[in-house]
Amino acid sequence: MKVQLKTFFKKYWPHMLAVMLLPILLIGLWVLQLDHLITTQFEGRRWTLPAKVYAQPLELYAGESLSINELQTELRRLGYDQVAQVTQSGSYQLLKDRINLVSRPFRFMDDNRPERVLTIAFNGDHVRQLWDNKGQDIPVFRLDPLLIGSIFPVHGEDRIIVTPDEVPPLLPAALKAVEDRRFDSHIGVDPLGILRALWIDIRHGHFDQGGSTLTQQLVRSYFLNNQQTLSRKITEAVMAILLEAHFDKADLMNAYINEIHLGQDGDRAIHGFGLASEFYFGKPLRELQLNEIALLVTEVRSATYYNPRKHPERALARRNMILDILAHDKLVSVDDANRAKTMPLGLINGSSNASNYYPAFLDFVRRTLHRDYKDADLTEAGLTVFTTLDPRVQKRAEDALTTELNRLDKAARRKNESLEGAVVVVSSHSGEVNAIVGGRQVNYSGFDRALDATRSIGSLAKPVVYLTAIQSGRYNASTIVNDVPVVVKLSARSTWAPENFEHVANGPVPVVRALSESLNLATVNVGLDVGVDKIADEFTQLGLGHKPDNNPSIILGAVNAAPIDVAQLYETFANDGFRTPLRAVRAVLDENGKPLQSFPLQVSPAADPAAVYQINRMMVDVVQRGTAASAKARLGNLMVAGKTGTSSDYRDSWFSGFSGSHLAVVWVGYDDNSPTRFTGSAGALPVWTQIMTGIDTTSWDEPLPDGVTETMIDFDTGMGVTPQCDPDGLVVAVPQGTQPQMKDGCNTAVESHQQ
Amino acid sequence: MIMQISKLNLLALLLMVFIGACSTPVTRPDNAPVMTAPEQPATPSQPQGEVVPPQAVAPSAQPLPAPPSRTYTLSAATAALVNQAHAQVTAKNLMVAASTIERALRIEPNNPLLWIEYSQVRMSEQNYYQAENLARKALMLANGDPHAQSLAWRALANSLRAQEKSDEAQQADARADALMPK
Repeated sequence: MKVQLKTFFKKYWPHMLAVMLLPILLIGLWVLQLDHLITTQFEGRRWTLPAKVYAQPLELYAGESLSINELQTELRRLGYDQVAQVTQSGSYQLLKDRINLVSRPFRFMDDNRPERVLTIAFNGDHVRQLWDNKGQDIPVFRLDPLLIGSIFPVHGEDRIIVTPDEVPPLLPAALKAVEDRRFDSHIGVDPLGILRALWIDIRHGHFDQGGSTLTQQLVRSYFLNNQQTLSRKITEAVMAILLEAHFDKADLMNAYINEIHLGQDGDRAIHGFGLASEFYFGKPLRELQLNEIALLVTEVRSATYYNPRKHPERALARRNMILDILAHDKLVSVDDANRAKTMPLGLINGSSNASNYYPAFLDFVRRTLHRDYKDADLTEAGLTVFTTLDPRVQKRAEDALTTELNRLDKAARRKNESLEGAVVVVSSHSGEVNAIVGGRQVNYSGFDRALDATRSIGSLAKPVVYLTAIQSGRYNASTIVNDVPVVVKLSARSTWAPENFEHVANGPVPVVRALSESLNLATVNVGLDVGVDKIADEFTQLGLGHKPDNNPSIILGAVNAAPIDVAQLYETFANDGFRTPLRAVRAVLDENGKPLQSFPLQVSPAADPAAVYQINRMMVDVVQRGTAASAKARLGNLMVAGKTGTSSDYRDSWFSGFSGSHLAVVWVGYDDNSPTRFTGSAGALPVWTQIMTGIDTTSWDEPLPDGVTETMIDFDTGMGVTPQCDPDGLVVAVPQGTQPQMKDGCNTAVESHQQ
Repeated sequence: MIMQISKLNLLALLLMVFIGACSTPVTRPDNAPVMTAPEQPATPSQPQGEVVPPQAVAPSAQPLPAPPSRTYTLSAATAALVNQAHAQVTAKNLMVAASTIERALRIEPNNPLLWIEYSQVRMSEQNYYQAENLARKALMLANGDPHAQSLAWRALANSLRAQEKSDEAQQADARADALMPK
């Protein structure tokens, strides 16, 4: 038996050795594979970086209409700290008539600008002068722009990468003190730490202590999922040891700081301390104070359980406990820790942070970029996107829409439905979109009415009809047209008999009255005379994305368009007949700050500037004495041009109009397209007026084009008048030499002067 | 020439009536800070376009006096940006030069001098069609300021010549020359 066994061993020992060595070999292979994974994936350490999206920067210059309070509001929006003496970037000092600040370093398209010390002196509501710390006069200065969001993949990670010099030294020290005391000496795993955690857990009777090293946490977050299985624990430990073998501690700490999950914003996962700092405090990581650093360290343990917005007491308690640890470990003084413990959480509120970014505007940005970039470019390549959003205009538009809709809802007295609305504001000469509001829940990224609610534009079509008429050479503002009933034969069996809003026909009226009082019958008569096909062409010429049907009803606005389409259409009026594609993006830079693409201003002639001027002059009268006259008092000295729009049965309430520098389009209605009870002037106009009076804009004051003259006419008859015989006369613009005949009893101005 | 003078007189008279009446129904807003009121606001600009002969049937309404002429200059801020753009053009950094001019335009969107500058950047890019359109936009805004008008006509002429539209370019040059103060 013994001999047999011996021969067996003799005969089979190589096989047995193989059986014994196989697991070791397999484990070796597995470790090699993990090692390969770590070296390939972690070596270059390239996180996928969502594109960062910035608002337009605030320009500061002498003579600018900007008060000291307004600048302070802007600095707060940017997360600048008010301090007694400015020393670090992102801080400002408020004095009686000036602000001292240290700007943040920022990489613009044309300038990688370091931080700058700056004084801005004010004179009432204007900037008087700017100078730097050497007393050098600065003619114009850009503040760093507001980060308004990032383009992250669906259910994906968002982060801002920070380099070690952007990290306050206290942060790594605090992480070590709280999460991993032996980080500097262990080999990736810490058996003592695990035993200690186990001991505490057993004593407390529940599993609470992590015991994972920072390296293990990094491995878990970077390479693995969050399942708590034994095999995963072993893999994690092995990979942690391998990581430590390949990389030094400082490298791993920086990776940890950029990797770890610190919050959730809907589908958006907040990763890394760089983004968390913006997400919770609205400022860069390097500017954080002691209490703020302690709160971020709080979130490491569980960003859900200690979510400071949902569970402020829990977060505060743990933050203060962490402050105690820091004081105990002599990382900060006891006094500093106690002072920090008295501080509130200090979270930025919803309306001004990167988490409640501007969904409707970003929607437009994303659509613009998707024309030129693949999804992966936007969500992974670390692009920087400079946009045209003006946070001040956006805020005003959001506030105006929500307050007016609340008021209108009360007036509408409907229990189960609330009105909706949308706003688009554009810089009229450049086509830059300054603000988009997609609905009354301004931070909700659902249905974007500004871009997708295509509704009947109603009387907003009338300026297009009259522009076509004036360009035909047969009409001007004083031309008499017939506001009389009309029946249009559409086919063998159907006819169209439009009516005036007031169900009254006014007979002969001048064009300016037909437009400013939005008379349907007169407009239909003019439209049929100049030709429906010509009007349809004019719509596309002016910039409507699609050609309307060749149907007479387009004269009264049976044309479906979203507010953004209306903005493009009216942009051509506001821009003197030049068409400028609306833009939300100025430039895109690559990861290294190199410009990839700019979206420059483009203009092309779309309509005769002289004809457009004549229409615009009449749209001034819409506000002066037409359907929008209710806004006149609130507008004060601000000269604007615009048009009300009400679709059939009051389903849509519109106002589209412009000042000298801004165009705004407002739509109000119900999502289910039911009637609203509101005309354009009752629903949309108050929103529009509130926006225009709340932003820094200038009066409409275009120079009179060649070949056009201003003359005074009687609003009812269109006959020429003088201020003497008709104090109520109306100034219109007409082609030179086409002035109307004088009204009976109104002699020429010269004669009346001689009387 | 005589016709023009008598027309000027008529307009001046009409303006006096206006001042006498002391009530204009439409108040013109204050001009942008870049514009300065001229010494004699009554001087009407000379009509540039084709003048359609007045209707002879009955006395027709008089044109209102032309609005006061304007003088466009660059503010310290926009002048600094224009200088910066010039340096960027010299450095062949045209994309950035365009963005610098756009910064200036955001500060003074109605200033034709900036639109002319933009037209010149597009010329450097050999984007002559955009250069032409920008010059046309400048021309529209320059109405009332002969100096700016002259510069705009010149910019237009240059862009047209670059597109080999020599007849149109020549006409534009002639307009520029006629407006250039002697």
